[in-house]
Amino acid sequence: MNRGGWAYATPTALFVGVFFVVPILLVGRMSISDWGLFAGDRGVNVPANFTSAIDDRLFWPAVWFTVKYTVVTTVILLGLALGLALLVQESNRWTGFLRTSFLVPGALGLASASLLFYALYSHLPGILGTPGRALWSTVGLVVWRFAGFYMLLLLVGLQGIGGDVYEAARLDGADRRQTFRHITLPLLRPSLALCTILCVTGSMLAFDQFYILTKGGPDNSTITIVQLVYTMAFGGQNDLGRAAALSILVLLVLLAVNIVQFRGLREKA
Amino acid sequence: MRIRIAALAATALLAACSSGPTGPASTGPVTAEGTDDGSELTLWTRAPLELQANALVEAYNKAHKNQVKLTIVPNDDYVAKVGAAAGSGDLPDLFAADIVYVPNWTKAGLFSDLSERIGLLPYADKINKGHVDAGTYEGRKYVLPFVLDLSVMFWNKDLYREAGLDPEKGPTTLDEFKAQAQAVQRLGKPDTYGTYFGGNCGGCGVFTWFPMIWAGGDDVMNEDGTESLLDGPAAQKVYATWRELQAAGAIAPGSKDETGATWVAAFQEGKIGVMPYPATLLPTASKTVDVGVGPIPGATGGGATFLGGDGIGISKDSAKGDQAWNFLAWLTSEAAQKDVLAAGKSTVARTDLADPANPVDQVAAAPQSRTPFAVNFQQAFNAPGSPWVTLFRNQVYGDPAALESDNDAVTAVLGR
Amino acid sequence: MTRNTLAGALAVLFLFPLGWAAVASVSPQAGTAQVDGWGLGNYRTLAAYQAGIGQYLLNSTVVALLTVLFTLVTAVLGGYAFAMFRFPGRNVLFLLVLAILMVPYATLLIPLYVLLNQLGLQNSLLGLALVLAMFQLPFATFMMRISFEAIPAEMREAALIDGCGSFRALRHILVPAVRPGLITVGLFAFLAAWNDFITPLVLISDSDKAPLPLAVANMRQQVMGIVDYGATEAGVVVLALPCVLLFLALQRHYVRGFMSGALKG
Repeated sequence: MNRGGWAYATPTALFVGVFFVVPILLVGRMSISDWGLFAGDRGVNVPANFTSAIDDRLFWPAVWFTVKYTVVTTVILLGLALGLALLVQESNRWTGFLRTSFLVPGALGLASASLLFYALYSHLPGILGTPGRALWSTVGLVVWRFAGFYMLLLLVGLQGIGGDVYEAARLDGADRRQTFRHITLPLLRPSLALCTILCVTGSMLAFDQFYILTKGGPDNSTITIVQLVYTMAFGGQNDLGRAAALSILVLLVLLAVNIVQFRGLREKA
Repeated sequence: MRIRIAALAATALLAACSSGPTGPASTGPVTAEGTDDGSELTLWTRAPLELQANALVEAYNKAHKNQVKLTIVPNDDYVAKVGAAAGSGDLPDLFAADIVYVPNWTKAGLFSDLSERIGLLPYADKINKGHVDAGTYEGRKYVLPFVLDLSVMFWNKDLYREAGLDPEKGPTTLDEFKAQAQAVQRLGKPDTYGTYFGGNCGGCGVFTWFPMIWAGGDDVMNEDGTESLLDGPAAQKVYATWRELQAAGAIAPGSKDETGATWVAAFQEGKIGVMPYPATLLPTASKTVDVGVGPIPGATGGGATFLGGDGIGISKDSAKGDQAWNFLAWLTSEAAQKDVLAAGKSTVARTDLADPANPVDQVAAAPQSRTPFAVNFQQAFNAPGSPWVTLFRNQVYGDPAALESDNDAVTAVLGR
Repeated sequence: MTRNTLAGALAVLFLFPLGWAAVASVSPQAGTAQVDGWGLGNYRTLAAYQAGIGQYLLNSTVVALLTVLFTLVTAVLGGYAFAMFRFPGRNVLFLLVLAILMVPYATLLIPLYVLLNQLGLQNSLLGLALVLAMFQLPFATFMMRISFEAIPAEMREAALIDGCGSFRALRHILVPAVRPGLITVGLFAFLAAWNDFITPLVLISDSDKAPLPLAVANMRQQVMGIVDYGATEAGVVVLALPCVLLFLALQRHYVRGFMSGALKG
């Protein structure tokens, strides 16, 4: 079964090579160059790109906010998704309707959903006015858009747990809470881990929702790292070198975070 | 294959850097009216100017063999779009830019040198000076005015009558502005307020507050646009006026969070007494409100406006310089200025065509009116969360004592 | 009972924003094309915008369908390769595919723009679809891989031993077996391509080649950042409607696609 593997993988390799690896290499080159948006390459500029990216007055606030947003979103989103999955676990007409309701928001793109909430929030003056409210309003949008998707992933995990396991637990005299804690959660671990990885990665790269809803305001309280990348490239500094340097840092951090998560997943599973 | 593509990509980006002023590509002698030979020209502009851009392009295409193809780009993403194209030598023949970004873009070499051609225009010295100056770099002219957008004082004549104010006389000093706003506020009408402003919108603040400083002869920056003077006495008087209005509850409550999305809506709904406003919206506002129009006053009188809007130039990448110039020459001609722009209630960009009966044209010609000049203008002022936004929010809602350090933060960005 | 009430309330909460957008788009609102009374003023703004809504819908449809096509072909072949074959570089390639998820979108756009120019694909719907398909690959390849892996081993082997070659086995026996996965991947690609805004913004220059989200974004902002909320709401409804309908039509298969892949976890 080894012959032909590459033949089938060639389209993937071409796609990844041409549209991902080449651009990434160019980003890498930008990150070590003094590369203006309009002016192009003006020679090597390391480590100045990296140090000046970190020295930006919004760098640490953006890091802090991105982490905060990631933690808040992941906890709420996965908690809610798990609850929803448990609610609609059985298959009947009512739960079918519920599943559909929770999944439908996922049919909208994140940008469309952000535009929708942007218009919706315009009728609720002040809802984006303080740092706290701006954060929660955005979390509300993201939870609405993605809860169904994660519910589905967890539902898949739940259905993978055989009925006999529950039967055995019931015979052992376990009540519902005990069953959940000692049977469901551990067996759901791989699904939960997959959801966590996706959610953490997505949240750390959050851009559209803040770009449309809050523009980083009020008072720069909701600037994420990727927004900072965008601002460095297109928001007046027009410095692709610094922006690329920051992107590379983000990529490295995400790789590290994901490797740690994968390790944790493997060890405990 | 991969390596080849990467190399190609890199050379394309490298080739994009050019140095020294160069005129647009030209096939024959440079003439005042350019060439109208049926070429197709591309033109980019940002979405807010769509109305005027459409009208201009339509009128030009009707009367010329050249045909202009217009692309509208969302306001917030215009820089990204132009930047991507500039990097790979792919800019359209003509493109417009928010006039406050123009110094940055001319310095970056995105436009072709038009000095010689502009010099051939018989009305060269009548073209709006603020815009031409903003588009001048190292003595060479790169940009002409595309569409002007001025800030003026609007007041609601009906509310003025109810408040016992003279509906024909708007404020002529900042104190009068404050008093009139408070008079409307004292009516105690539900949902009606003295004034309004974009409390979280750097661009709105620049557009409406800078003229209050200029009106008295002061300035907001040094001449090079590298140092902020926003801590001067005139500026402090402006902040104090708004702070006192805020303390008196005469500013509509939404304004603290106003990012610019709806900053003109409340006035159009008849809920605001008096506020600085974009002159381009006079036709729209007049549909619902009986509007009084005047210059934006300073502390002790005078009047000024922010000569905003967009400038336009021929890109460094255009191969059709003579044809593109034909459009620009027509754009500044009487035909375009009077029959298209003035007919569509936009402000004309030539002093010799100004209408003496039109208050907006008069403000545009006022000696204190100007277009501020700074290479890092966008970053320092317009960008969301800019140091300027921090500065004026502290002045109105926070701790006014932070002025010194806030002003230094603006300078730090300007002088970068 | 309380459980059902809670669930019902949550369902209403999830459906509310969509219903609200539909209602708000036809209700009167200052600063929009629909100032007095109920009506379709905002939709008229949308319909008459620049090249006309028909053109934008057509562009979006073309881009979305091309993206689905590229994504499906690449992901089916790739998923098959990853699931059934061991070949040098297999793990590296798979990790590279997953790494697409980890790069900030905004960063890649400038290099992609340069690249498409070099390939002669600038300002074309084809180039746009290729880029959008690339962004779909992590999910699509992962999904197809686990779908193929979930096919019982006996069936896979039987198909191959049949002597009909791996490609015929794939076409006649294995692809039908992963149909739910295909629908899930295809639907995902369609929704993403239909809704994407930033990529066409940078890659497409002609107004008459722009997809719908770009037109909606263009309409949103007027002078000095003023927003036409009415046109935005109408735009969101027109953007969302085909997606919601398509989703409802394919929902059963979509859910099954996830389920079938999960047998092996």
